[in-house]
Parts: sequence; C-alpha cells; structure tokens
Amino acid sequence: MTVTTAEDATIRLEGVCTLEDAETLARRLSETPEASVDWSDCEQAHTAVIQVLLAARPQMIGAPRDNFLREQVGRLIGPG
Amino acid sequence: MNEFLEQFLIECRELVEQATGDLLALEQTPDDRERLDSAFRAFHTLKGAAGIVEFPAMGRLLHAAEDVLSSVRAGDHPVTVDFISHCLNSLDQVVQWLDAMEATGDAPADADAAADRLIARFTAGAVDLAGPVQPEGPPSWVAPLVGAFPDAKAARTAVCYRPDAACFFRGEDPLALVARIPGLLALRLRPAAAWPSLEDFDPFACNLVIEGLWSEGANGLADRLRPVSDQVQIHALQRLDWALSARARAILQAQVALVRQSSDEGFAGRLCSAARVAATVLSHAGLPGDGLAEALARSLDDSDPEPLARALTPLLEGTADSASDHDTDADPAGPSTLDATARALRVDVEKIDAIIKLTGELTVVKNAVGYAARLALDGEDIKVLAQTLKDQHALLERLTMELQRSVVAIRVLPLRHVFQRFSRLVREMTASLGKSARLIVGGENTEADKAVVEALFEPLLHVVRNALDHGVETPEARASAGKPQTAVLRISGFREGERVIVEVADDGGGIDPVVIRRVAAERGVMTAETLAGVSDDDVLELIFAPGFSTATTVTDLSGRGVGMDAVRSTIERLGGRVLVRSRKGEGTTIRFVLPFTVMMTRVMIVEAAGQVFGVPFEAIVETLQMSRDDISTIGAAEAFVLRSRTVPLISLARSLGLPDAPDRPPLVKAVVTAVGGQMSALEVDGFGERLDVMLKPMDGLLAGMDGVAGTTLLGDGRVLIVLDLQELLQ
Repeated sequence: MTVTTAEDATIRLEGVCTLEDAETLARRLSETPEASVDWSDCEQAHTAVIQVLLAARPQMIGAPRDNFLREQVGRLIGPG
Repeated sequence: MNEFLEQFLIECRELVEQATGDLLALEQTPDDRERLDSAFRAFHTLKGAAGIVEFPAMGRLLHAAEDVLSSVRAGDHPVTVDFISHCLNSLDQVVQWLDAMEATGDAPADADAAADRLIARFTAGAVDLAGPVQPEGPPSWVAPLVGAFPDAKAARTAVCYRPDAACFFRGEDPLALVARIPGLLALRLRPAAAWPSLEDFDPFACNLVIEGLWSEGANGLADRLRPVSDQVQIHALQRLDWALSARARAILQAQVALVRQSSDEGFAGRLCSAARVAATVLSHAGLPGDGLAEALARSLDDSDPEPLARALTPLLEGTADSASDHDTDADPAGPSTLDATARALRVDVEKIDAIIKLTGELTVVKNAVGYAARLALDGEDIKVLAQTLKDQHALLERLTMELQRSVVAIRVLPLRHVFQRFSRLVREMTASLGKSARLIVGGENTEADKAVVEALFEPLLHVVRNALDHGVETPEARASAGKPQTAVLRISGFREGERVIVEVADDGGGIDPVVIRRVAAERGVMTAETLAGVSDDDVLELIFAPGFSTATTVTDLSGRGVGMDAVRSTIERLGGRVLVRSRKGEGTTIRFVLPFTVMMTRVMIVEAAGQVFGVPFEAIVETLQMSRDDISTIGAAEAFVLRSRTVPLISLARSLGLPDAPDRPPLVKAVVTAVGGQMSALEVDGFGERLDVMLKPMDGLLAGMDGVAGTTLLGDGRVLIVLDLQELLQ
C-alpha cells in the first residue's frame, strides 16, 4: 500500500504507485475532495495514478525525486 | 510576384545548386561525410521552404529524398549511382516547378503526379522507411502542440500518443514508456473525453492523450514506440511547423490589437471581422475556435471589446517570439552554408566601410572648395586661387575614382556562380553522347561584375556543348589516336588587368582549317577567292560567322541552329571579345575576354551634325584623317582602302538620321571601328577627349532607341549619348 492518509487528511503517495493504487487514490479523493496530495516520496507513478491527479486536480505538496514526474508531470498537475 | 515567393525562388535555387554540387562530389567520394551532411541539409531546408509556400507535392518529394539521404547518413544504405541520379532527378523536377512558379506565380497543377512518379523511384529500390512516420504535411494536432511550447525549438519530432481505453488491462503504462524515451522537451496531457466527476471515474480506463516534443529524430522515436505503434502518430518537425504557428500568432495578436482599438467608429464591424479572421487562423492551425462566437456575442451585447480580446489572448501564450525570430533561427538540421546569392547581393562589410571612409574624405574636399569660393569673394590673387582649385580638383578626381571603384566592387560575384553549374551538365552531356570527359574547373573565385557573370552562362554552355559534341572524340577514336580515353575539359577564369578572361579548353580533335574552308565555301559564308587569301588562323574565326556550323550530324546537344555567332554577339554585347585557338588533333580553346565591369565605360567623344557622341573605346581601332579623294564611291556607299583592306565609310550623322554638314570638308575625319570582326569607319566632324563614364541605361520613352548604349552627363552639363556600335552598324 503506497497510498496513505495522514491525520491532517493529506494523502501521501510513496514509492512505486501502481495501477491498483489509482483506484485507492480516486476513492479517497472522491471521499475528501479538499484533501491535498503529498507526493515528495513518490518514486514512480502509473499512468492511471497520474490520470486521477489530472482529473481531480488536488492541491499538490512537495516535489517527487523522479525527474520525469517532477519536471514534466508536475508542471501539468500544478501545485494546486 | 510577391516578395515572399520571390525570396522562396531565390532560396530554393541556391539550395538546389548547393545540393547538386554536394551530390556530384559525393559520387566522386562517396564517404565524404561533410558533403553528405550538406546535401541532407539542403534537401531538408528545401522541404521546409516547400511547406512555407504550401506546395505539398514538392514537400513530399523532398521528404522522400530526405528519408533516403538520412538512411545513407545512418549508414543503412550505400551511396550508389542510382541513388545520386534519383536525387538529381528530384532536384531537376524541383527546378522545373520553380520555373513554372516564377512564370505563373503558382505551383503547377500536375505537380502531384510528377512527385508520385519520382517518389515511387525512391521507394522502389531504396530503403523502406514506411513505419509510422507520416510522410504528409503536419497533421492537425501538431500546430497547437508546437504553439504551446514556443521555447522548445530544438524539437525535431512531435508525437501524439492516444492509448486506447483498455491499455491498462494489457499491462501497458503509457507514461512510463514515454518517460523512458530520451530527449523529451515538452509534454502535454489532455483527456480524450472530458473528465467525468470523481464518483463516476473509472481509474482503470485510460482517458489520456499524450503529446510530446522530442529532440530525437522521428526514426529513433518510431523504434522506441514500436510496441504501441498503432496508437501513436509521429511527425518529423520542419521549420514550417514553427513558422506557421508564429505567423498565426502574429495575426492573432493583430486581431487583439484591432479589437482593443479605442475608437467607437465601426465597433461592431471591427469586432466581427477580427473574430472571423481569428476563427480562420485557428481552424487553419487546427485549434478549436469554439468560445469565439460566444465571446463576440457578449462583446457586442455589452459594447465592450474585452470579452473577445480575453478569448483571444490565451491563444497567444508565449508570444515573446515574433515571426522574425523564427526566420533568423538556425535550421534544426544545421545552418545553411551558402555564402552569396545571385540576385540579392551580400556585401562584405569592409567594402561598405571603404565607401564610408571615402564619403568622409569627399566632405573634406567639399569644405575646401567652399573655402576657395570665399577666397575668390575676398579678392584673392587669381593665380593662388587657380592653384588651390587645381589641387582640390586633383584630390576630387582621385576620390571619385576610388569611389567608383569601390561601388563597382560591390557588384562583383565570383565566377563560381556560373562554373558550378557545369559539373552537372558535363556529366549529363558526356553520358548522352557516349563520350568520356573529365571537367576541371579553375579560377572559380575570380570575380567579375554581376551582370557579366550572370550573362555568361548561355554562351559558356554553348561552347561547352560544342567542345563535347564536336571537339571531344569518342573513346575509341581517342584510343586509336594514342590519347587517354577520358578527355579533359577545362573551364577556367582569371583576371588580366581590367579584363576577366574565361576559357574553355578541350583536348579533343581540334578544328580542321581545311574543313572550315570547305564548309565556308559551300555555305557561301565567303567566296573561294577570298578564302584563299585568308590564313589558317584567321579561317578559324569563321566559326563565329552567322550561318556557319560544321556539325555533320545534328545531335541532341548542339546544332540547334544557334551557332557560335550567337555566342559572339552575347559576349560583345557585354563589351567583350571571343577568341579561338585550335590545333588539329590537339584540341580547341575558346577564350572570352570580358570587361571586369560593365558599369564603367571608356569612351571617346566625337562630333557629328553639331552634336557630341561617345564611342566606346573598346570598339575603336584607330582614328584617322584622309583626303576626300581617297574615298571611292560604290553605289550609294563609300569606302576607302586601309592597309590593303577595303573599309566601308559610314557617315555617323546620316546613320543617326541627322543631316550631313552642307559643305563636306576636303579632309575626312574617321573613327575606324571593329565590331563583330568587321572593320568599318565612321565619318565624324571632329574628335574630342577620352572619358571614363558611368553609363546610365536609357529608360522610359528612349529605351527602345536603336544604336544608343546609354547616356552620361558631361562636365558642362550637356548630355552625352554613348553609341552602341553593334546596333548602329548592323
């Protein structure tokens, strides 16, 4: 499980986020639409995960270490 | 023709020349990497140019050629004779199209069929580059993508990847695949269908369109995307894609400015027109223009331009780049290496600097003359004054001479401009004649006036054709004559004082004076008696006589009824001479002696019917005075004997339609001239000084006047008419 919800309702993406994680993320975001997503520790994200982020446009926190996620995808999802 | 098309034609012709030169060089040295790259760049730039003028057939043809060239560059395909020929044929086709466009202003209607034929040849024997690379012009998704990333100019390839909805189930991870391809410059993700609400969202269905710009080439990307090739469109970017979006943006920008114009006059009309233009631009660029109509309606309802202006501005994001930026931008495949253009002159800054310096010195002289005028007013001693003026005049003379020389120097072009076209032509001519000849070009950096260089092609072509057709023997004949089978044809140019010499020399069979004599007698060029008195050297001159052609068979190449007489008249019109030297069995040399510049003409002033005229110095053999008794009348004409040659005497006044002096003086003054090898004398009333003049060609009503080369102003303000003897004496 790499999608966790912290006490302050921040959703954290960690390590390698897979196709299955996309479903979890989509569910959590639909339950708490105001939740922000911290992806500082995300190493890799499946297209499906990124698709959820694009559709939901949550407030993003931090910058992932992976170049592609940070520079190309991050710009598209935006900080908020 | 509009300026844009004109520029296109100039540029394309240069590129074709460059590519031709490179291809021919490649044929000699197939592993010349630099030439290969240069040819590739030329094809690439040509293709881009075709896109800019929206000539898709030309673009397609060049794209096919470029593909093969690029596979040659990658080492997948060797440089073969066929390959060179295909490429050269494509360039020929391009030149034909350019000619048609120059004549009509439009691309020819049958261009597509011609392009298809040639493309088929490339694809038949050559590498198959089908793959997912799109050979057509840019698909509609390219322009908006490129427009969104104006900074990604290093991009060579645009990709549109539409993963199908079920791709996740097949274990595909489209973005991971994209992330692994090196050279990604810009990425864009958009939903294929509008995002549903999160409750209805199916995280396992892919609803993305992935678009990106890469610095990698199209073929490399095609390899990397091969696993999903059915979902991917790849487009190799051309300058066109950038230029289009830049132009589109410039137009849109103008519409925004128009909309925001603070004037109530024609408000509604202005807005409607701007919206219409914007919609056209957007649809052309493949962008949706949905919001425009709505914004326009709102603007009109509220009488406020802002809704429409705001609808337009987001489309202009990243407008920092202007259209001109893209124009000057280096081509993605590398800069073009051309150094000079044929029609537009590119001038060395040093030459301009020299002129500026001279202008400064002239100003000094002007001030000095003003000072002399003040001295004269103050009653300065006339002798001192005269000396001052004389000094200033000498200085002024030197400066104007230098200025003239500097200005003329701007107009020079290297002979390379004509010479380089011959390597190709000689290759083809020898092939069609079944002969073998090697072309050696020398002195191609010799410079001459632009007008001379540009007029040189036709006569040179004729002489080269003659040399290969009549001069150079078949390989068998050469072998039996003990000569190497491959003939050598030399085209060279060099400077001799104020003259430029261009020579075409072959080591062929030479001209046989016996044959010339026979043919001249047969064709009535000269009577047998006259011929008997002419030396062998002079008999060669007869090849320039009108109606003379020694070819026993009319071939494809020469013998089309345009003889060496046409060559001579062209060269003489340029103020030059043609000489021939030939030795039977050893070869022939045709030499053009040309003026360095056609702008400066040295003339002698003569008087006739109370007026002054200039006679070009180069045509004058001598001036003489003789008694009227020495002139014999032959019918209506007059002639005299000069060193045992009969020279016709023509009254200059009468030949210009002016009345002769009523009482003809007993002492006749005549200017003996040689034009086209014919001696004739002009009777004049008096001789004047010699002058260097800058000829101003006749224009307007006087342009059609016969016998006049141009005019210039004399020191006393009179107009001097300079005669064109060739026209006058014909």
